[in-house]
Amino acid sequence: MPGERIYEDLSLVRRRASAAFWAVAALIFLALAYYWKVQILDHKKYEDLAAANRTRMRVLAAPRGLIRDRHGLILADNRASFKVSLIRENVKDVAASFAAISRLLGIDEPTLRSRVDLHKDLPQFEPIVVADGLGPNDVAPIESRRLEFPELVVEAEPQRFYPGGTLGAHVLGYLQEPTPEEIKARPDRKTRAGEMVGKTGAEHTFDDPLRGEDGTVYEVVDSLGRVQSEQARVFPVQGKDVVLTIDRGLQAEAERSLEGREGVVVALDARTGGVLALASFPTYDPNRFITRFTPDEWRQLINDPLSPLENRSIRGLYAPGSIFKLVMGVGGFGFGYVTEGTTVYCSGATRIYGSIRHCWFVPGHGAMNLENAIKNSCNIYFYTLGRRMGIDLIALAATRLGLGRKTGIDLIGEKDGLVPSSEWKKQALKAPWYPGETISVAIGQGQLQVTPMQIAAMTAMIAGRGRTVHPRLMEGDGAATADEDGPPAAAEPPLFKASTYEAVIAGMWRSVNDGGTGKGARVADFDVCGKTGSTQTMSRENAERLARAGREIKTHSWFTGFAPRNDPRIVVTVLVEFGGGGGATAAPVAGRLFELFKQELDGR
Amino acid sequence: MMIDRRLFREVDWVLLALILIQSLIGVFFIYSSSHFLPGAHHVRQLAWIGVSLLALLLVLTVDYKFFVSLSGYFYGLVTVLLTATLVFARLIAGTKSWISFGLMQLQPSELAKIVMILVFARLFAEYKSAYLTTQHTLGALAVAAVPLLLIIAQPDLGTATTFLAIIGGAFILAGLRKKAIVVLVLAGLALGIGGWNIALKDYQKKRVTTLINPAGDPKGSGYQVIQSKIAIGSGGFAGTGFKKGTQSQLRFLPARHTDFIFSVIGEEAGFLGVFAVIALYFALLARMFLSVHKARDRAGVYIIFTASLLIAFQFLVNILMVIGLMPVVGITLPFLSYGGSSLLVSYVACGLVMNVKMRRFANV
Repeated sequence: MPGERIYEDLSLVRRRASAAFWAVAALIFLALAYYWKVQILDHKKYEDLAAANRTRMRVLAAPRGLIRDRHGLILADNRASFKVSLIRENVKDVAASFAAISRLLGIDEPTLRSRVDLHKDLPQFEPIVVADGLGPNDVAPIESRRLEFPELVVEAEPQRFYPGGTLGAHVLGYLQEPTPEEIKARPDRKTRAGEMVGKTGAEHTFDDPLRGEDGTVYEVVDSLGRVQSEQARVFPVQGKDVVLTIDRGLQAEAERSLEGREGVVVALDARTGGVLALASFPTYDPNRFITRFTPDEWRQLINDPLSPLENRSIRGLYAPGSIFKLVMGVGGFGFGYVTEGTTVYCSGATRIYGSIRHCWFVPGHGAMNLENAIKNSCNIYFYTLGRRMGIDLIALAATRLGLGRKTGIDLIGEKDGLVPSSEWKKQALKAPWYPGETISVAIGQGQLQVTPMQIAAMTAMIAGRGRTVHPRLMEGDGAATADEDGPPAAAEPPLFKASTYEAVIAGMWRSVNDGGTGKGARVADFDVCGKTGSTQTMSRENAERLARAGREIKTHSWFTGFAPRNDPRIVVTVLVEFGGGGGATAAPVAGRLFELFKQELDGR
Repeated sequence: MMIDRRLFREVDWVLLALILIQSLIGVFFIYSSSHFLPGAHHVRQLAWIGVSLLALLLVLTVDYKFFVSLSGYFYGLVTVLLTATLVFARLIAGTKSWISFGLMQLQPSELAKIVMILVFARLFAEYKSAYLTTQHTLGALAVAAVPLLLIIAQPDLGTATTFLAIIGGAFILAGLRKKAIVVLVLAGLALGIGGWNIALKDYQKKRVTTLINPAGDPKGSGYQVIQSKIAIGSGGFAGTGFKKGTQSQLRFLPARHTDFIFSVIGEEAGFLGVFAVIALYFALLARMFLSVHKARDRAGVYIIFTASLLIAFQFLVNILMVIGLMPVVGITLPFLSYGGSSLLVSYVACGLVMNVKMRRFANV
């Protein structure tokens, strides 16, 4: 070839490259020959392996960790049960199969069909649970007819069991199957169809530690689904136990005292914010949600105007009523509008901004200082104080005491509540603030909305002389937050000096121990400090709910307090919806909890 | 830069067609084995084919000599990337081998393969004696060792193994004396035994022991191999049909649309499908390897040979792996397996081969 000269001599490397290629070609040929052997010569063998002996991977559900109270008593346990699943791949004739299964399991066909439809996107081989919560006697007839139903698999699974029934229902939450969307939305989390996950409460918050690691078993099954042998087994690992701050005894007492009423009892460890008891009534038995098939009961609960599923301690919005006078007292003192000695004369009524405002005590309290005004819950005193402070300082004090924002408790679904201010009204209602509204806020009415948990946290803060307390269901390392916007990230510098709280606390003490409105909560030698409240209005949603339930409107009854006065150990907040006067209804409930807690302390 | 018309005529369109046919067969079986999973893998694979094709065409526009002259910089860059991956990258499937560029995720260890091809082409281009000297061998090993060790540290055994193919390929071409072969084999054995006891992770050891005795670990990698082999064997002559494979077995393969795509083909398209894919591959590899006769210089020969060997090695290891003749080392089947990085690198490697081939007339 012309021009050959300018090319270097590459014949050696080219020869080597060609030789290497032919070596590769020989290997390819050998590989092909081996495929020929496996696919053609040994085809029968592998076909038999594939068709007659199929390996099935079965998940061994890990038992969830137990949930215990602070003393180790079991609040959520597991018990053995059986579930039946359908493998669509093995269904030969859909109509006949569904009819037969429906007869065998006693499920009506539409339910069965909708159940299977719900998971229609899953691969054909994935078992779909069609019945669960069965005892040994329920599955015996199914097992005995294995041959007729190759599409059904019976598996044992540990089932959640709450030994206390309704006890702590709103703390513990309940389990439900995740929806197919929820499964697809979280590919990182190995949720499998048919698994039960925590939907609310501690079951939700601590779902990750509670759920164990599922085991697997590889079984060789024949074409009828009969297990021939087991190839390998990885045992499931039970989830970690979760120890809550709940005290089972206090919890039971809290629920007993609400029996037949609607309302909330919250008890906090005053030092740590640990929730000792949390009762919200009406309530429900979480055991009933454990099965995957409670559509009627479920719907009934969701549509119930009294909404027993709702955890009112964090989702119920109420006017704080006279409880708010604690905020007024702390704020008024802290901002220097009053001192211990400042008195306001209560004649039973006063004229503010052109309208007559009454005290609840018609004859009038006479000359009131802060301590006595708290003790007697004197409206006139706080009207006057409110007018002096103005709404924005009131709002500042309330916000710093934890109202109008989530407490950050480790439960999902907490509400913010509302502390009105002139800024808020301008933005939300596009209207200026009227001074008359300040007067309503000063005694805890108006647009103010609080949750009982906020009141409990606020009380704990007063008890701690200004130390911020975040309610918690779990203390220490495992602690988690349910919502992303949990507690305020950085600790705020305290707004008031510790001594600011003493006058208010003195008033709270006298309210309980010196013939004040909270005397129903008195416990001998325990120095209970508290404040009662009765709210005349309610939030719009509550009112609507009430109207639907056809109830007559009575006042809500509040009590919040702590004990002992020095070195506080426990905070109790009680709200009884439509309970009448706070002193008459709520204070005695709190009193019983204080009493029980004191016995526990003394017994220890 | 425009390619002039003469060069355009020299592009190996047959090779390009073979690549695209293989890729489309891949998409077909990716769909079949993953259509019930969320994520529309077949659509993503199509998108990656588009991206890779574009990359291949871009590679064609620049004379390979230019790439070779820049190989030193590429080497530095990929070393930095590999180090960064080790340090920063998110953990995916237990190996720190991915680095994220917005929407696209790339494995620097895959890029390193291309860089090694270019670096070796440069190292050996001026080496004209019939056999390698010790000095030269050690030099080349030292250059290869840095990225190789970084990849082993990830740990990405599969990619590290393909690296050895590139290194070995370059040595074969440069000529190894019998003495050198003995020394290298002994060194390899020593490294292997040392590595087995020191560097290999338990799961990697298990994969090797599994090859010898698959039933010993039926639930782990041995289980994959057994199921894969059953799937292939049950495919028979004509296969079970599209989407009709007893995926009840293949579902235990976590990588059935990636590393184990060939067992899906074996099951659903039978020996016919296996034969077709292997025959296409043979044609593809023959066309790539035998392009060495069209290279105008030594660097070109090295590029063609190492790039072809890279594809051939991965192909062979993969099809032997899924049928139980090789340990499960996580090597994909080039062009057919699901996965963007692997596809991109295979296309670029072919692009380099085509690049050398189309510039066979020195236009000095």
